[in-house]
Amino acid sequence: MNLLEVKNISKSFDDLQVLKDISLSVNEKEVVSILGPSGSGKSTFLRCMTFLEKIDGGSMSFCGEEAVNSENGYPVYVHKKKLRQIQGYFGLVFQNFNLFPHYSVMKNICDAPIHVQKRNKDEVAEEAKELLKKMGLSDKADYYPYQLSGGQQQRIAIARALAMKPKMLFFDEPTSALDPELTAEILSVLKGLAAEKMTMIIVTHEIDFARSVSDRVVFMDKGLIVEEGSPKDVIDNPKNERTKTFLKKMQAEL
Amino acid sequence: MKTQLKRMTVCLLAVITLIMTFQCLICFAANDREEFTIGFDAEFPPYGYKSESGEYVGFDIDLAQEVCNRKGWTLKKQPIEWNSKDMELSSGSIDCIWNGFTMNGRESKYTWSTPYVDNSQVVIVKSDSDIKELSNLSGKIVAVQADSSALAALTGDDATDENKKLSKSFAELQQVGDYNSAFMNLESGAVQAICMDIGVANYEIKSRGNKFKMLNDKLSTEKYAIGFQLGNTELRNEVQGALLEMLSDGTFEDIAKKWGLEESVCLSADDKYIDSTDTSTTNNDFWQQLGQITVQLLEGLLATLTIFVLTLLFSLPLGLLVAAGRMCKIAPIRWLIKIYISIVRGTPLMLQLLVVFFGPYYLFGIELSSSYRFYAVIIGFSVNYAAYFAEIYRSGIQAVPKGQYEACTVLGYSRAQTFFKIVFPQMVKNIIPSVTNEVITLVKDTSLAFALSYTEMFTIAKQIAASKTTIMPLFIAGVFYYIFNFIVAFIMERIEKKMNYYK
Repeated sequence: MNLLEVKNISKSFDDLQVLKDISLSVNEKEVVSILGPSGSGKSTFLRCMTFLEKIDGGSMSFCGEEAVNSENGYPVYVHKKKLRQIQGYFGLVFQNFNLFPHYSVMKNICDAPIHVQKRNKDEVAEEAKELLKKMGLSDKADYYPYQLSGGQQQRIAIARALAMKPKMLFFDEPTSALDPELTAEILSVLKGLAAEKMTMIIVTHEIDFARSVSDRVVFMDKGLIVEEGSPKDVIDNPKNERTKTFLKKMQAEL
Repeated sequence: MKTQLKRMTVCLLAVITLIMTFQCLICFAANDREEFTIGFDAEFPPYGYKSESGEYVGFDIDLAQEVCNRKGWTLKKQPIEWNSKDMELSSGSIDCIWNGFTMNGRESKYTWSTPYVDNSQVVIVKSDSDIKELSNLSGKIVAVQADSSALAALTGDDATDENKKLSKSFAELQQVGDYNSAFMNLESGAVQAICMDIGVANYEIKSRGNKFKMLNDKLSTEKYAIGFQLGNTELRNEVQGALLEMLSDGTFEDIAKKWGLEESVCLSADDKYIDSTDTSTTNNDFWQQLGQITVQLLEGLLATLTIFVLTLLFSLPLGLLVAAGRMCKIAPIRWLIKIYISIVRGTPLMLQLLVVFFGPYYLFGIELSSSYRFYAVIIGFSVNYAAYFAEIYRSGIQAVPKGQYEACTVLGYSRAQTFFKIVFPQMVKNIIPSVTNEVITLVKDTSLAFALSYTEMFTIAKQIAASKTTIMPLFIAGVFYYIFNFIVAFIMERIEKKMNYYK
């Protein structure tokens, strides 16, 4: 089953068209990386898919349930209540973590499951401890975000997203606010999640990262998907000129 | 603590003495007088007031001008706060108080000219009032000007037993700052009668149409004279000389006629000065006086505290509501709130207090009850501070990063949860320094309640200062304000530290 079905999405900011007729489907247990130079629209694409931006046209379905369609020529979102239910199917990990600074690590992870999903307090706390263990941060439960390194904060943010038990996870450049040596921490967490068959859509511009973790790579440029396929095909054997230029530039930087 | 207080008072006294010595030196140095400065209450027609053309005019002003013409001095007209008249005089910023100034009961406090007007204290009520004689005043709210001769006639040390009894029968004896305010109180129903000088009463009744009337019963008779600083007989004699000259050549009579006071004047060349060497009344034991003043001020401090606490209690949440309106998606609400904030921040708080108190009567004709005075103070302060707090809240809310809201959306928080769980606590941390500032300002702003004749600490300090001819109460009040703010600052600092558990 396609967990995510995005069709013909378009999005403009004022006169600037950022997304032009983009479609993407993601299978259950699939890990998809979205690559592209800055300004290619990949972040906007992710924000549209997570409802942080409203689309101008197109349709989106999650787990077979339609969230928005444009059958009348303009986008119609489903009712608020339904939309929030669909929102619960996915989680999002931000570039700069966006942890709640006034909450301890534990509260950051537990608050939404307890107060949004109304789940049992003790059960959630138990799960949170498990998640922290998995992230290798069992000793940080009572810390506040400012006391942690960037890599640690990002792992807490991932734990926070996972605590909601999402069916899929979106990542918005999860390593670009981190020092290179901390990137490896996140990469190993993502690899672990992939091994557990978590469905993930990752926006990144780290090529090695994309290659090592994804089943499929989507390359975007100027609001369009220009190339799509396995990491081997797209990264090691690109056919499109723009993909080649981008990859060359990125590799030259390394 | 006690020794500290002692030391502090000694220091204060030293400073005051120094200033006074300095001023005396200046006084004696300026022997060749060129200017003559009279202090007067600019809201006391027909003796001294601001005319429609904006100049200070009146019977006393004309007399002073004539004296100056004869002496070759330049007249300087200095309107003063009536409560501060003694400070003005002893500091040398005015040469005399010449303003329908009642000498009865103040004989030993000033060096007086001989009396020139015979005046009486009368009672003014609304034309349609059912108060016909003094005994009807029982159970009523009566206004007098603070530190006026009417007040002295009712409750002063030299008041007759009858008057003392009468004033005790009042529901309340309300002290007001000036006669305009007294008449506004009377007209709006906040008080039912005013006690005042007959000359002023006649003038006010004439100029305010027939809305008010005077009772036939009089509280007392009294005399007006010019008050100089105690001991300044030299200047007094010069002025008195010029006045007698004017009396003999008829100028005095002419000026009296011009102001319709020919019936009241009583200047006579036969009168003798009442100079006395007895100063016992003003030289109470220092420590006893200090104690008395402190006790009186502590009562006022309670009123100040009440204003402070209630204002914060109402304005802090109200500000949140206003801030919400200010950031509302519905444009008309946003504009309305913007206009409200703009008006509140753009006009004096004192004016806003007056509008809140007198507005209901003058705009809608609603009779005011006396208890409304207190409510008006709290409403006025709360409405004012809510506007300032709203803007502080807004800045605090806008300082919360957009990413926090996005994280909330993705985690499924409702709008209320987002605000109260995530945004509000972060806002509180952001705004504490600005709120501290505002709260400290509020402590000092409470003194503005005097505009509505609400007797908080500063009003009382001014009243004591006026009646005891000393500025000590003002200094003590200052110390109280400082201690109050010191505590406020200390508490706010603790809260700020507490909020430092995260960054």
